[in-house]
Amino acid sequence: MRHLAPACLLLALAACGGDFSNDDLEFLNALPQREDLSVTTPGERMGGGAGQRLVRQGKVGSPSTLMEKLGDASALVGNTDETGRDINESIGGILDSVESITRLTPTKREPNRRVWGPVLGKNDMEFDTRFVMTREGERFDYQTQYRRVGGGEDDWWSFLEGTFQADGGVRKGTGRLYIDWKRAREKQWLFSVDFLDGQEIRYQTQRLPTQVELEYFGPLPDIFPGRYMYREAEGDLAEMTFEMRGTDFVPGGLPENVALVTRWAPDGRGTALLEILSGDIVGAKYTECWDAQGRVTFISRSWDFLNPTEGVRASCPDMSALDR
Amino acid sequence: MSPPLLPSWRALAALLVLVASAAHADSLRRFALVAGNDEGGDETRPLRFAQDDARKMHGLLTRLGGVAPGDAKLLLNESSKDFLAALTSLEARAKESQARGERTALLVYYSGHAKDGTLRLGNSRLGFEDLKQRLSNAPADIRIAILDSCRSGALTRTKGARRAPSFEIESGAARDARGLVILTSSSADEDSQESDALSGSYFSHHLASGLLGDADRSGDGRVTLFEAYSHAYARTVADTAASSGGAQHPTFSYDLAGNGDLVLTDLRAGGDGLVVPGLAPAGTYYFVDPAGLVVAELDKRSDVERRVALAPGTYRVKRRLSDRLRIGEVEVARGRPVVLEEARLRDAPFSDDPVKGAAPEGGAWWTVGLSGGVQSFLDAPTRDTLFLSVGMLGAEAQLHDYFRRDWVWGVDVAVGGKQAVLALPTLSGPAYRYSVTSLGTTLTSEWPQGRVTPFVGARMAYQVMRRDFADEAYPDQKFAMFSPGVVAGLRWQLLRSLHLTGRGRLHYLLYTVDEQRSLGFWELSALVTYQP
Repeated sequence: MRHLAPACLLLALAACGGDFSNDDLEFLNALPQREDLSVTTPGERMGGGAGQRLVRQGKVGSPSTLMEKLGDASALVGNTDETGRDINESIGGILDSVESITRLTPTKREPNRRVWGPVLGKNDMEFDTRFVMTREGERFDYQTQYRRVGGGEDDWWSFLEGTFQADGGVRKGTGRLYIDWKRAREKQWLFSVDFLDGQEIRYQTQRLPTQVELEYFGPLPDIFPGRYMYREAEGDLAEMTFEMRGTDFVPGGLPENVALVTRWAPDGRGTALLEILSGDIVGAKYTECWDAQGRVTFISRSWDFLNPTEGVRASCPDMSALDR
Repeated sequence: MSPPLLPSWRALAALLVLVASAAHADSLRRFALVAGNDEGGDETRPLRFAQDDARKMHGLLTRLGGVAPGDAKLLLNESSKDFLAALTSLEARAKESQARGERTALLVYYSGHAKDGTLRLGNSRLGFEDLKQRLSNAPADIRIAILDSCRSGALTRTKGARRAPSFEIESGAARDARGLVILTSSSADEDSQESDALSGSYFSHHLASGLLGDADRSGDGRVTLFEAYSHAYARTVADTAASSGGAQHPTFSYDLAGNGDLVLTDLRAGGDGLVVPGLAPAGTYYFVDPAGLVVAELDKRSDVERRVALAPGTYRVKRRLSDRLRIGEVEVARGRPVVLEEARLRDAPFSDDPVKGAAPEGGAWWTVGLSGGVQSFLDAPTRDTLFLSVGMLGAEAQLHDYFRRDWVWGVDVAVGGKQAVLALPTLSGPAYRYSVTSLGTTLTSEWPQGRVTPFVGARMAYQVMRRDFADEAYPDQKFAMFSPGVVAGLRWQLLRSLHLTGRGRLHYLLYTVDEQRSLGFWELSALVTYQP
């Protein structure tokens, strides 16, 4: 009985507090969400199975203009699908790492600053992890930081850095994330991924068309394509810009590197504009349209003087909203 | 069994010498000091009705007792110092009246604690002998002391008053019409008892009821000091005979000289009141106020017209028969008497007794109720973006008169909520549901004024606020905190067991999430309670 009153008091105090915070919501709103940065691929628009079908048909990875015929399933749809999934996977991994810590309640709430963690991180508990956000007006900056266990305040180093310029709405604004792979290697936090020095995501969700760019930086820029861009315009029109390396797009002795701009409508119909950057016929352009089932309905080859087009150009969907 | 109720022949003979003379009495300039104190200091338990008794007596004396409002002083829970100061003031005025050649009467009524030969006014004391000496020397032709307190008979014992059944009156030599009269509610070794059912002490209730007309045995429309005392004596002894405290015997002593019994109340003074005609059935009539309390009783005999000087208002009338009640309602208008017509009474079972039932031991009673109201924070940005203004629905239980008379302890729970859209500087648009749950306990003090009872008190609440977002990207949020506050309001008794309460609350809330901020919020609500 002697300890009843203090026990009740402690119990009552423990029942107080919470996380009811407007500032928390504004900080969280500054972090990109998966749906904001993810690519909706043409295969998904067709019902989710078209891209997989194209992969099974061997239509992905080595598009060849000689193989494309009217009525065939478009290999470019398959390439766009696969690239889109790669982008989603790459961005998703980054966002997973952010969400895993910001899902927790902030451990420090200060005016215009939030800190989550530190929590014991990866590599056999050798590193502490924390996530720090600061705010100045409508601009938010954030970092995922690591330090060796037992380190001091000055030992934190940033693996991920991001910014967001808010525009008032639900995750509306412009943002940027940078992953510093090189520094992670230097700090012995990471021992693999030596082909990458950095990875940057830039996005704007403030107005249509929205835009997400993914760019890789590394010591071997010619090995794999370094930049992807995805845009969405009014009417759910989507566009992806990316490069493909080492394809045998046209006959000849050289492999081609090509730049691709693919666009697709909500019903799955789409267009692709391909430009050969290097290889046998540098500068040549190839245009293709496909229907809601991904079948080619129109082909245009800039280098084919005898038979430059096949099919009906009018079958191509109107994608002009993406040009505004 | 009740002891014999009639005064002894000796007392009667003494009073016959002082034949009541209304005209004589009416020429008196009357002063009254009326004091009630529930507190008796250390070693005493608070009384529950002493202040109420004083209020009733003050109202009665100014309405029917010929005491001008300016010549009456009402002291509630005041100290002996205040008591003596008020007495000094009245004495001075009485002296001035005497100097002008007026005959004067000074009446002192006290309801409260008394112990060890002293009146206990809170933590202060006033000795019986000191009071008696003071009154003996007071510059008024007639001094009357009515003490409703435990062992108050000690004040009269030295003058020879003895325990009833037959009370004795000591009289000095008959020279002038002047002197001192002392009435006490109990003898020197008895406690004075209070009644939950009467909401007052037995003695003061019966004295007041007698002064309203029940004591007018002569039927002349005036109640004299002797009539009032003999009535209060008989009824007090009868009512307390079976109580756990044992029978309580009022005492009476006087040292009067000259002629004339003193008329205490004139039943026709205001012109209003209730007339029970001679043809009305004999029996005991009870007059019940809207709160269910008996304000007056009347022992009606066949073929005798009686008058009860009820104050203007609505009353329920009850007459008890062997197998049923006869009940009805009567409206007493201002300035004219109303005749109680038997035809307006109806038969009713005992279960419909309009008299509020005797409270259980300790006088406690409880209610349950439902409430509806609004909660809103004082700070505009807070109520716009953080803790929104919402409607609340709740349930409550209240325990009345348990810890102390007119104290109410309550527990309550209420919930409220609304759909809203977030509107912050860098984030607007997410829809969410805001909800509040409030658990509270309240302690209030009430001041019953007939049907209406104002109250104030303190409340401690445990507030839980939530917001649940439709968009999973935003976490559901919660905040909980204890919140002290104050409450004030009015309770109306709509029906016998139904009350309607309007109240306001003002609360303090410490917000601790983003930063420590002191917030305040108010609640306005209505509460309907049922008294089982």
